Amino acid sequence: MSNDIPLTWFLYFAAASFAVGLAGVLIRRNAIAVLMAIEIMLNAANVNLVAFWRYGPDRPDAGPLAGVILAIMVLTVAASEVAVGIGLILLCYRRWHAADVDRYDSLEG
Amino acid sequence: MPLDLSRIKYDLFYLSPEIVLVVWGLLVLLVDLGLARTATLDVRRRRIGMLSLIGVGIALAAAAVVCFVPLFVRGDPHLERSWISPESAAYFLDPDPTIFFGTIAGDLQSGFFNLLYVALLGLVVGLSMSTSFTEELGEYFALLFWATVGMMLLTAAEELVTLFLTLETMTICLYLSTALEKSRRRSAEAGLKYFVYGSVSSALFLFGLSMIYGMTGSTSLEAIRDVLRTGGTAGLRGNVAGAVSILLLMVGFGFKIAAVPFHQWAPDAYEGAPAPVAAWIATGSKLASFVAMMKVFLHGLLPWSNPSTSVLGPGWIGIVAVIAAVTMTYGNFAALAQRNLKRMLAYSSIAHAGYILVGVAAVSVSTVEAKAAAAVLYYLIVYAFANVGAFAACAWLVRDKNSDDIDDLNGLAYQEPLLAICILVLMLSLIGIPPLAGFFGKLYVFMEALNQPQTNQPISLIWLVALGLFNSVVSAFYYVRVLKAMFFRQPGEKRLLPASRAIAVPIVLGTVVVVIFGIVPDYLMGMMQAAAVPMLTSPIVVPKVNDELYKPKPGQVIPKRPPVVSSPEANKAYADQMKRGMGTNKGGGGPAPKKGGMPPGTKKGAGKAKTGGGAQPGKQAPEKAKEGSGASRTMPGRSQIGAVAMKAGGA
Repeated sequence: MSNDIPLTWFLYFAAASFAVGLAGVLIRRNAIAVLMAIEIMLNAANVNLVAFWRYGPDRPDAGPLAGVILAIMVLTVAASEVAVGIGLILLCYRRWHAADVDRYDSLEG
Repeated sequence: MPLDLSRIKYDLFYLSPEIVLVVWGLLVLLVDLGLARTATLDVRRRRIGMLSLIGVGIALAAAAVVCFVPLFVRGDPHLERSWISPESAAYFLDPDPTIFFGTIAGDLQSGFFNLLYVALLGLVVGLSMSTSFTEELGEYFALLFWATVGMMLLTAAEELVTLFLTLETMTICLYLSTALEKSRRRSAEAGLKYFVYGSVSSALFLFGLSMIYGMTGSTSLEAIRDVLRTGGTAGLRGNVAGAVSILLLMVGFGFKIAAVPFHQWAPDAYEGAPAPVAAWIATGSKLASFVAMMKVFLHGLLPWSNPSTSVLGPGWIGIVAVIAAVTMTYGNFAALAQRNLKRMLAYSSIAHAGYILVGVAAVSVSTVEAKAAAAVLYYLIVYAFANVGAFAACAWLVRDKNSDDIDDLNGLAYQEPLLAICILVLMLSLIGIPPLAGFFGKLYVFMEALNQPQTNQPISLIWLVALGLFNSVVSAFYYVRVLKAMFFRQPGEKRLLPASRAIAVPIVLGTVVVVIFGIVPDYLMGMMQAAAVPMLTSPIVVPKVNDELYKPKPGQVIPKRPPVVSSPEANKAYADQMKRGMGTNKGGGGPAPKKGGMPPGTKKGAGKAKTGGGAQPGKQAPEKAKEGSGASRTMPGRSQIGAVAMKAGGA
């Protein structure tokens, strides 16, 4: 109880994980890998939220579990985004017969 | 903490347009499931389209009731017309404009914008019935309805959680609608590009949101403003976390409004999406995102806007001004090179987002904040109607010529002179030529940017206004290309068939709106000013919520509410009582005696806190640990920041 992990470690971890996700979105060519990287980013923000709730000031008006509830809502949204994303990737795959984002270039830049 | 649930049944009244749209979307989905087996595509399209229009009509009636009934009740506090029970009247006369525990606003602004969204949705649904671009009609209309629900709740959101959820609702429905034109490859690609850009910027927005939550400890915009106003995080000077969080929030909002470093999805998505969906993305989602952005930046983060006197000092006005300048310039110059009508409209809406951002920056420096915000809202409404008309013209082109280049408009004036003149008026309004409404929108926005209080060193936004004027001139060149095609070229071999009612109504209605609000702008400006006031301010000062109020003291009897008596005699007796009490009380104090002995703090428990909330809980935490009650909220090691001594005592 007196050897708690400092708050800043959680924030460093979340920031590093977010950077990894962002790099994944920019670098990866497979559309499904891009989707996975987006998930990493959303979950890094979740870690941030829960860490701030755990170590933050106690505000009675914000409800008992404000950060945690927000993190659960974000999880729900992330899940639905994945469902939508897989559907869109399937749609593109049927046209191009490839899941490579570099090949989706029928619209001029 | 026991919550006051008795208001929920009244709060649902404010949500009735959204409920209608959600349920009707499900209904349309199920009806299409049944019809799809028996009817051909055209018959199905007409039937499902009519069913959707009926749903939009019901939602429009509900939105009108929600918008105007509270106004009537507030204008008639003596209840001379006893058409409403005293309990309901007491609910409407409550000065707190938020519902559902402070997460959603139920004021004039959200009511008016609900009405606007449903009206625009009607135009878009009508437009969808004109062309056949998809076979999944039930899904398409349901997604349009649910995107509208997201927009309506986004406009009303007073809290960051609600903001994020409704933003995602709206955008996810629009991702799917973009990709629904399965016969063309570009539609699927547009949907995927929109999705990837949108998800990345949502993740960045969420990270910024989490940092704002961490720095202020609450997600409610009012509470955030309170914490920032007292310098709870020492302002933005040297505050790297605050600056980073503002930048991340700007990424999220910048994507939705298609501001320049985050605009790259817009031309592809607008070009690839079917024309009604492109219309909805360009108008509805942009409107809702701008209102949400104004709420977050001008209500929640206002203390961080411009604490110094130079534009590039610590504050978000610098970044907003720079983004506005770059967006205007890039949008206008890139639109000059476009041959495709939808792509040109995409770059033009990027440019218009730049002008509106000038207005957002103006609100934070202007003398009367509500007037500047009203200018921005006025511009948004006029821009929305003009753009829906323009996209209706695109839908017309696609229906008959299967492509939407500007050259396809050749010779339209010889075939359909009336509609060509209407499109001319819409384009002139988008350029900003008087006496049309687009001119007044730009005039008010630029005027408010220069209208600052006469201090020693006002923040100089004159370079921004000059750039805006220059860009308005540049924009004339590409809108005029549309007019040149319509009026000065001969029609090609493939001619346009006469426009159906579904296409003509948005164009004509857009023209009427633009002309009327150009000739008499004051009426709409007055309404927008009344709507902007609740958006930017909180009309009541709620005392800091004290936990001890909610615990029943030993031996205390909590009085029950008096039963609802709603007969004409009781109403008359109540009105007489109020009139008798009018000499001593103020009007808003009338309903209070009837409620019996309810403790004052329970009306709006969550979501509001006064300043000093940061200092108090630190003192309360060790008390609670010692009492051993409320253990679910105090965990060992909580409040670690600056609380080592207390932990040593409590462990």
